[in-house]
Amino acid sequence: MKPPSAPVRILAVAGVLALGLVGLVVREGRARAEGQEVRLAMTGYDPRSLLSGHFVQFQLRQDLPPAAPCPGQSEAGASVEDGWVALRADGARHVAAGAASTREAALRLAPVAVRGVLTCTPGLAPQRPGDDDRPLEVQTLLLDLGIDRIHLDQAQAEVMERQLRRFDPDAVVEADALVSVGRDGKARLVGVVVGGKRTDLDWW
Amino acid sequence: MTSYRRRLERDLDAWIDRGLVAAANREEILATASEGRRIDAATVLGIIGGLLAGVAVIAFVAANWSAIPRIGRFGTVLAAFLGAAGGAAWAASRKRDVTRQVLLCIAALEFAAAIGLTGQIFDIAGDAQAALRMAGLAAVALAAAGASPWAGAVGLLLIALGDFEGPWMSGGRSDWPGWLVIAAPLAGAAALRWRSAPLAHAAGLCLVLTVLTLGEAARSNAERAFLGAAAVLALAATGLRLARDRFEAPAGVLYGWCVWGALIWFGAAGFGEQMRGVLHSVVWLGVSAGVVVLGRHDRSSAITAAGVIGLFVAGATLLFNLGVGLLTSAMVFGLLAAASLVIAFIIRRGKTA
Repeated sequence: MKPPSAPVRILAVAGVLALGLVGLVVREGRARAEGQEVRLAMTGYDPRSLLSGHFVQFQLRQDLPPAAPCPGQSEAGASVEDGWVALRADGARHVAAGAASTREAALRLAPVAVRGVLTCTPGLAPQRPGDDDRPLEVQTLLLDLGIDRIHLDQAQAEVMERQLRRFDPDAVVEADALVSVGRDGKARLVGVVVGGKRTDLDWW
Repeated sequence: MTSYRRRLERDLDAWIDRGLVAAANREEILATASEGRRIDAATVLGIIGGLLAGVAVIAFVAANWSAIPRIGRFGTVLAAFLGAAGGAAWAASRKRDVTRQVLLCIAALEFAAAIGLTGQIFDIAGDAQAALRMAGLAAVALAAAGASPWAGAVGLLLIALGDFEGPWMSGGRSDWPGWLVIAAPLAGAAALRWRSAPLAHAAGLCLVLTVLTLGEAARSNAERAFLGAAAVLALAATGLRLARDRFEAPAGVLYGWCVWGALIWFGAAGFGEQMRGVLHSVVWLGVSAGVVVLGRHDRSSAITAAGVIGLFVAGATLLFNLGVGLLTSAMVFGLLAAASLVIAFIIRRGKTA
């Protein structure tokens, strides 16, 4: 049998590659839609980078109530690919209940298991006028689920960035990441809620 | 090939003067000497014009990027890639080799950009290393489909970038070796098959750098890994030197890179605790001197340069290892000089005998 000519081979490979890219988008979109949506507290992290397009970088973090102990953290060297974090509902949000090395172990801690790394660091709670002079020591949960940014239009990104970078103890801006936890345990960003305004990722 | 023709013209004139060749045969002999394919000014301007047009389109799209819906952006990215690949297919059907190669390179780079932009457009979190490697594989697939060594070089460099993405020499990366361990030798073989010097340069550079992607093997025992790499590259250089007649310029290019790599990694092995010492420096000096002789014999300035630089660095490490005791240094260098002179004398006597 005569092998296909170079033009046919080039078009065939290009078609397969393009279909692969479309398949990736469709698969990720489907996994995002089918996953369990959780709402995780976040804070601003870094301004937009011109080289990487318009995005807002954030960090999934939450201060625990004063005197609340740290849950079990991820082992040293754990990565988003091989670590698991258990999430439990806490009002409208989900909070980390502990880390584990397997999905089964994470599910024994809480109903939702997601691939990621959990770190707990000591810090100080923001003081408000009238509070005791002594700053309160609190534990802060840092969650690395492999998602740390949302790409937006420039105007949207700038508004969101200003809100996230503002620090006012009297008017703390509530910011949450909406994350879909798929059957594979992978976290996929669905959108963010900053100052009560929800921004979803969609095709448009 | 132009330099070959000029040399042939000079040699022919000398042979005619000495009566070795009939003057009437001069033009006929010169006509048999191939000129090789040269890219003319019009083609170069055409390539530059095409690239500038591409940059203009990219800038225009970038200026309006925010105004385009996500699905539109994705469609634009895909259309740009398929347009370049389609153009390459058209050029292949018209036997326009340079256009085919350029468009396949553009298609390969556009697909690499498409992976990153798709992740950005739809906020798909991913591993940068995996993205670079996938882009490299796509470029290699396009290169294989279009028999394009230029696109192959792009693919190899993307795979190399993937290997070096992240903390590759620390404990943060996988224990497995990088993809270059397989990709670089395959690219070298492809360069020989397609008689491509550009791909041979890319493959040669990656062959030298492969040792840095060996993962845990290189981290836990760097000296042995470097010494092993030097031995493998020296063996490859030997084979490629013998294959130069069959595979022409690409074999020569790879041969040069392998000699450089063998010398570099042999020298690097001596910077560790286990092998550091006068003995390593003296052997390094000897090997470098041998490479200089080899370079002169093969009339290769690149190989001679490798040997000369090796001599300088090996000499410096020898001084360092001797503890910069001037008297001891003078004695060692004097012995080395005497050994060199004796060898040179023996070689000269062998030639005149």
